[in-house]
Amino acid sequence: MRRPEPLEIFQPTSIREAGALVKEKGPGGRFLAGGTDLVIAVKEKSFSPKYVVDLKRIPGLSGIREEADGGLKIGSLTTLREVEISPIILKRFPFLAQSAAEVGSVQIRNRATIGGNMANATPSADVAPALLALEARARIAGLNGERVVELEQFFRGPGQTVMAPEEILTEIIIPPANPSLVGEYIKFSPREMMDLAYIGVAVAFVFNASQKLCEKVRIALGAVSPTPMRARGAESLLEGQVLTEELAEKAGAEAARECKPISDVRSSADYRRDMVRVNTKRALLNAAAQRPGKWTERRDRRY
Amino acid sequence: MKDCANYSVIGKRLPLIDAVTKVTGEAKFTGDLFVPGMLIGAILRSPYPHARILNIDASRALKHAGVRAVVTGKDTAGVKYGALEHLRDEAALATDKVRYIGDEVAAVAAVDEETAREALDLIDVEYEPLPAVFTTEEAMRPGAPRIHDHVENNVSLSLHIPLGDVEAGFARSDFIFEDSFETQCVAHCPLEPHISLAACDGGQIVLWSSTQGPFYLRRDLSLTLKLPSSKIRVIKPFVGGGFGGKREMTAGDFCAALLAVKTSRPVKIAYDREEEFSATRRRVPMKIYLKAGVMKDGTLVAKRCRVIADGGAYNGRGPMIVASGASQMTLVYRFPHFLFEGHHVYTNNPVTSSMRGFGNNQIRFADDSMMERMAKELGIDPVELRLKNVRRPGETSLMGAKVTTCGLPECIEKVAERGGLHKKRAQNGSGGNGRQALLRGFGVASAAYISGCKLFFEHDSSAAIVKLEEDGSVCLLTGASDIGQGSNTVLAQLVAEELGIAFEDMRVVSADTDTTPMDLGAYGSRTTFVAGNAVLAAARDAKKQVLEVAAERLEADSADLEIRERWICVKGSPQRGMTFQAAVSAALNSPDGKSIMGRGYYNPPTDYDPRTRRGNVSAAYSFAAQSAEVEVNPETGEVRVINLVAAQDCGFAINPMATEGQIEGSVSMGLGQALYEDLVMEEGQTVNASFSAYKIPSVRDMPPVESHLIQTIDPEGPHGAKGIGEMTLVPTSPAIANAIYDAIGVQIKSLPITPEKILAALKEKRACS
Ligand SMILES: Cc1cc2nc3c(=O)[nH]c(=O)nc-3n(C[C@H](O)[C@H](O)[C@H](O)COP(=O)(O)OP(=O)(O)OC[C@H]3O[C@@H](n4cnc5c(N)ncnc54)[C@H](O)[C@@H]3O)c2cc1C
Repeated sequence: MRRPEPLEIFQPTSIREAGALVKEKGPGGRFLAGGTDLVIAVKEKSFSPKYVVDLKRIPGLSGIREEADGGLKIGSLTTLREVEISPIILKRFPFLAQSAAEVGSVQIRNRATIGGNMANATPSADVAPALLALEARARIAGLNGERVVELEQFFRGPGQTVMAPEEILTEIIIPPANPSLVGEYIKFSPREMMDLAYIGVAVAFVFNASQKLCEKVRIALGAVSPTPMRARGAESLLEGQVLTEELAEKAGAEAARECKPISDVRSSADYRRDMVRVNTKRALLNAAAQRPGKWTERRDRRY
Repeated sequence: MKDCANYSVIGKRLPLIDAVTKVTGEAKFTGDLFVPGMLIGAILRSPYPHARILNIDASRALKHAGVRAVVTGKDTAGVKYGALEHLRDEAALATDKVRYIGDEVAAVAAVDEETAREALDLIDVEYEPLPAVFTTEEAMRPGAPRIHDHVENNVSLSLHIPLGDVEAGFARSDFIFEDSFETQCVAHCPLEPHISLAACDGGQIVLWSSTQGPFYLRRDLSLTLKLPSSKIRVIKPFVGGGFGGKREMTAGDFCAALLAVKTSRPVKIAYDREEEFSATRRRVPMKIYLKAGVMKDGTLVAKRCRVIADGGAYNGRGPMIVASGASQMTLVYRFPHFLFEGHHVYTNNPVTSSMRGFGNNQIRFADDSMMERMAKELGIDPVELRLKNVRRPGETSLMGAKVTTCGLPECIEKVAERGGLHKKRAQNGSGGNGRQALLRGFGVASAAYISGCKLFFEHDSSAAIVKLEEDGSVCLLTGASDIGQGSNTVLAQLVAEELGIAFEDMRVVSADTDTTPMDLGAYGSRTTFVAGNAVLAAARDAKKQVLEVAAERLEADSADLEIRERWICVKGSPQRGMTFQAAVSAALNSPDGKSIMGRGYYNPPTDYDPRTRRGNVSAAYSFAAQSAEVEVNPETGEVRVINLVAAQDCGFAINPMATEGQIEGSVSMGLGQALYEDLVMEEGQTVNASFSAYKIPSVRDMPPVESHLIQTIDPEGPHGAKGIGEMTLVPTSPAIANAIYDAIGVQIKSLPITPEKILAALKEKRACS
């Protein structure tokens, strides 16, 4: 482990100032939010950014707002702990709160931000599948104004996003959802906490519980391709169908077919594929068994 | 059973003597120490698994602003160190060759850590890379590159121990079982990494080190620095765990001392977590080929065991670990014929050496796994099979261990009974909502262990001084090393009990080669037993002296006096007495100014022949059994240990709470070794050298642990106590492995038992049926 080079740190107080700094200083800098990815990369992975621009002095980048149309806006600097315990999120999208709760430990979640989890673009980022399943979008601010992109388009590869160096992720936008939307996120890792996902599966669908009918089915996977991904083949198998164990099993198999896992120190590609199959099925059946506004206890999710 | 109710300090659940100091953060570990003028050192490590060092040029580093000195292999003069002379193969810094990635090549002292680390890049080392070997198979192949010139085929030690007639035993057996097992390499993971701070003081080198044994360390420093031991003082401050990994001198210890001499400034060298994972000692991985002959009724007849141990680049304690596995294999269960063959093999992996259990964990995983299969295939209850063959008190093992007290039968019965209760309760239960039902299983394993040994020295001694102070308090000086296991507490309890005073009256000064009497260190589960007897002897000596003074004052015979609750009185007449404090004070204020100090030492009566490796290696043996209940998810292969019962023959629990603490800590280590932990290697490089990639169990993964202390009151132990620190860990992973076998019906013979292995095994089973 090498000590980091002395760092130049800036603390701008507006998005414009932050962007201008990056423009002026040139490539090789990094924004800093909670620092739980960046500081580790500097200290343990010999990553040395030329300079660091701290975003935490910029007002208005954190907080969770419910929109008139029923959508949600989550500021990029909102901590994962805030997402985890937010009454609105717990009520509307409990599985999103729960996916935030899967990250590291309470101490980590008190610093880690939702924007950092997205902008760092790790394939295994725990909050990404749940947001993809909710068809969330990312609001990005640059020197020439703002743009909004589908989160699915936001990720470009491990550590890569569509953002230019001077652009800032300001907000995650969750579109209005049907009140009968149910969902589930399963983080699969043999150790129960402080572990990175071998695979992650989020499902969300509008569920007619009496007829067991699924609509607007969204399935998203983490840690099984260069970016968090949607499993569209599996989704279409379920669309407008009555959810049965057999169908859930089939959808799981289809998701396993669609994903593109690699082998690494944590797990082999084959095992990852198999876990996508099992846990997609599990997530679908768990989601269907839930009452809206509730989440499954950690242990019951997988077992 | 002794009447424990008569004790007032021992046998009690007292919090550790340093608990408050630690919890408030007041305790100073080596890393907290600061000596004015202190420099910071760092170590340059080999990037090659095997290479010749052609040249080292430190001139650029020495010119770097802030650098004060550089030391290299030249400064070691090639002196090799280690426990046993004939196995010494390692210099404190590499001289001619580097033999693993991380091997220490040079060290720098500079004004701060940044400068020291920068300077490492400025040391120009010219290497000639050599072909390397990473597995024992490659290493033992004829023509394989030699890692040490004097060792052919890279086998640094071969053991052949025939006892009885193993072939005749097999011929006589009704059934033969044969299997091979494999254990992985795991890390000790102490919270505090290795750290050393050296300073020159009055012609002496003073070294504060995160060590398990300052006297041992002083010996290796004396050897490598070529200084008489009187010129070296080693102090052990608070230590944040060792688990066997802090038994040996490190390059950090040596380099801090040498750099302090060279610069005339104090020098601190701290390993970071990556160095801790990739370049310090680790557990010896073994391939174990086991063959057993057994009668229809389950009586064991013969065992043959062949062990190939991956020793890594240097011996460390590896060869002795192989030998230890052999001797303990004959201790747990009885059988008349045994053949042990063990090979300790050099590879270009990091050095494997001592770790809690010292070779037993590996052997017991293999042996108790085979016992389980035997039971299943012979149709005998696994608990019955064990009880049929279990060691009993008063017996002598094949290797010559004279067992005095032995509570193993009770331990096995206890864990079976307690664990079994849960088993019945858990048998029903289905999946629901599209789940396959979880598979439940129950498994048992046993262990035996020494309480100290003479494997490393002619003696296994410990000494103590007990000083009685005028205010009635007592200060114990002991060489024993408290590394978090609580020895200072237990030793203080023993003294307080003997002197009839309160635990709060005790202070302990320990593990300083100049201010405390000698002790060999915290290893071999020896401290409670060996140092315990030494402090008892010292306390008795002090008590005799104080009673003589009191006898004079009370006009009584000192033999008629007793001390209870700080009150010295004639037995049976409590009113005829005086306070303990008054007696101590009276002695000091008498005309001859007698300051009462008790002295004592203890060296266990053993007879072990290091050449034949036979004999009574320890003066007492402790025993343990554990049972585990697991749930296996047949769809994912995940294992959850839902209950663990541990029974421990500890002789006598001087502090039951500390004993249970050892058990609970062991279970978390054993759980990790059974299910998660594995140092993954690629061409000699540790791939997962961090806590995010190397998985130890989290609090959420811990099962509830039910501990039972079986008190057998050993005649040689202090108040009957025996050592327990290491063996509490030994049965955990085989018990979990056996529970998994019971749950899934397939035995997985290599550790760790990952979900992936379980799923593959289940698939194969389905394909076969
Ligand atoms: C011990 C530990 C355990 C962890 N466990 C998990 C886990 O279980 N699951 C998981 O998913 N993650 C885990 N993480 C990773 C990490 O906590 C998350 O990814 C976190 O959400 C990152 O947020 P942050 O605010 O700390 O990001 P930072 O470290 O501040 O930033 C990360 C990257 O994103 C960029 N960035 C941050 N915010 C913005 C923005 N608004 N606009 C543009 N770029 C931005 C930064 O420049 C940087 O490159 C763990 C980390 C640690 C240290």
